Amino acid sequence: MLRPEEMTRAVVVGSIESLDATVECLYELGILHLIDFTQPDEEFKLGEPLSKASDTSQKLLKLRAMIRALELEGHRPEGKLQVKDINKTLEQALVTLDLSTSSKAEAKQRIQSLIRERESEIKVLDLVRTFGVPVEQYDGYESITVFLGTCRHDPEHALRESIRDYEILKLERKSDVVVAVFVANEYKLEASRILADYGFQEVKLPKLKGDPEKLISKLTSEIADLAKDLARTEHDIESIRKKFANFIVASEEHLAIEVMKAETPLRIATSANSFVIDGWIPKARIEEIQTALDSLCCGLAFVETIPPASGEEPPVKLKNPKPVRPFEFFMTLVSTPKYEEVDPTLVLFITFPLFFGFMIGDFGFGIGLVVAGALMRLKLKNSPDLQKLGTIVLAGGIMASIFGLFVFAEAFGVPFHPPEANPDEHSWESVANIPIHPMLDKMHDIKEMLAISLLAGWLHLTLGFVFGFVNTYRHSMKHAIAKVAWLVVLFGIFVELMTIAGNNTATSETVNTALLSFLPDIETVIGGVKASVPALIMVLGGVAILPFTEGAIALTEVLGLFTNIMSYMRLAALATGKGAVALAFNTMFFPMIFDSGNIVVAAIGAVLLVIAQTFFVFILGALSSGIQAVRLNYVEFFLKFFEGGGTDFAPLGYERKYSVTTR
Amino acid sequence: MDIGTGLALVGAGIAVGVAGLGTGVAQAQVGAAAVGATAENPKMFGRGMILMVISETIVIFGLAIAFLLYTKA
Repeated sequence: MLRPEEMTRAVVVGSIESLDATVECLYELGILHLIDFTQPDEEFKLGEPLSKASDTSQKLLKLRAMIRALELEGHRPEGKLQVKDINKTLEQALVTLDLSTSSKAEAKQRIQSLIRERESEIKVLDLVRTFGVPVEQYDGYESITVFLGTCRHDPEHALRESIRDYEILKLERKSDVVVAVFVANEYKLEASRILADYGFQEVKLPKLKGDPEKLISKLTSEIADLAKDLARTEHDIESIRKKFANFIVASEEHLAIEVMKAETPLRIATSANSFVIDGWIPKARIEEIQTALDSLCCGLAFVETIPPASGEEPPVKLKNPKPVRPFEFFMTLVSTPKYEEVDPTLVLFITFPLFFGFMIGDFGFGIGLVVAGALMRLKLKNSPDLQKLGTIVLAGGIMASIFGLFVFAEAFGVPFHPPEANPDEHSWESVANIPIHPMLDKMHDIKEMLAISLLAGWLHLTLGFVFGFVNTYRHSMKHAIAKVAWLVVLFGIFVELMTIAGNNTATSETVNTALLSFLPDIETVIGGVKASVPALIMVLGGVAILPFTEGAIALTEVLGLFTNIMSYMRLAALATGKGAVALAFNTMFFPMIFDSGNIVVAAIGAVLLVIAQTFFVFILGALSSGIQAVRLNYVEFFLKFFEGGGTDFAPLGYERKYSVTTR
Repeated sequence: MDIGTGLALVGAGIAVGVAGLGTGVAQAQVGAAAVGATAENPKMFGRGMILMVISETIVIFGLAIAFLLYTKA
């Protein structure tokens, strides 16, 4: 929590004979983040792939070719295959499968291209079928040139004017004219010029002989025969696919893992008799590696921890309790924290559902989100990211329901009880008397909600600066002091905001009396606005320190800090905005439903209301509240402390989805 | 409600509305570029989002002014 898993630099060394077993062992454990060996010297060189590498790669290539030929790219086997079964049958299966799939796939392609060829021939012959001239007579004259093709308009008129000897066959179509023009060779150039003016495009007839009509029917029957062949071949391929798809995909996965293992020595240092694998290991699991090496490598390989070289950054493996882990998804969208940095996932786990819940603040929609989140978790097992998102939606939904039930006392945009200011408003009272009254009314307690938002903003930002202090004090005291100065400025701004709010809201009143009562109560008026003197002193004092710590440029960010805290007003704004949209739809459609007295009109009204509420309040509301809740964290909060750019912990290891090893 | 209060509320509306337009114009351009960057490299999402919201400062100032006017009205 707040800190990533503690890493230690370690080397695994051993005798070269035990390299295979060591690599195997490290992959099984999946806890060593390998540092690639890059500087070979006289003693140590890059290792060579394990002996099985080349054979395995060849088999893998064959399998991948089959996957393409059988179009298995998206295939996901249901169950898992045993690796020992794969190994037992792979050799034989590859030989038979390779022969049958490649010949079938080739046959399929050949038939398809033959069909395409014939289809294009038919298309061309179709142009001249009405001319009644055998195909061979369009070509092969000594003194006559034939132009066969299409023109935009009928060129006969122009031809008649300038050429004496010609013959034209034509067929008017919707957008052009098919023409076959026969001219004596002496008029060839002239005819070609005229036709070009009419947008002539030449058509090449296939090298066939005979009447086009008959040729077309012959080709058509050939296509029918080919289609039968194609169907047969496809049926054969389909039966291969059905029978072997799971085997091929699982074997591909298994062999890919084997190749990855076999090629690992290319990343490590080896000498004539030994190897050195350099990397990072979670500190808590060092012993695990040693025990495994002892049992698998018969004492020929050892693990040794070494002090990291200066400036070396360990890889980062976030360490959070299970319920918090889905929120690490938000970190993957930005950047992995550096090893020395605070990991803010826990804060996201707390603030995201709170902000989100406050903005949605509706029992009905909250329950809807709980259901949506739960469904995402259950149904999207193939996509871990979406599953995490499902958990986040679920958590947000729970908070939204709680806020909706106890704070705003409303469901589906309809209050449990009509507000005092508007006793005629529709409410759940007409259905049931729910004994919960709202603490806040979205439409009327806007000032109160703004004050709550500002308080949340101050707390959130303060935490950001505290994290900033923790991140910096080890490297630079100066920057750490700057964070304290910022904290003071922030506190000053908050005190000033609470002074302006005064007794107008219960929140500011409570904050002023309970939290800020230690400050001397000296007030003045600047530009018509109430100003607290201690607040001014704090802001000015903090600002005075900034040029010495972060440089003069930091002064420009003071205004930025003010906008940061004001930015939290979006919490209130979105809650009110969503409430207003829901109220607007209810006001539009409730009279249709309840006052029309016509069952059809009432039903139409109800359907329209459900559609409008679902799209505009539920879906759009959840989307915008989600984005705003994330954004308050990413921008206002993270920028106070977060740098990111850490290296993800990527240990040697693999994930088997379709194959399984049993020991 | 006297005419002064009404004018103050209209002013508050203009402050938010026009500031929002300003932010909208700026965010349209930054947002388009940010989406492009994210499409090429999903890790740019966070950075894109931060750049997106710089222009948002404008509307927040508008909101602050509107709020001052609103409390005075």
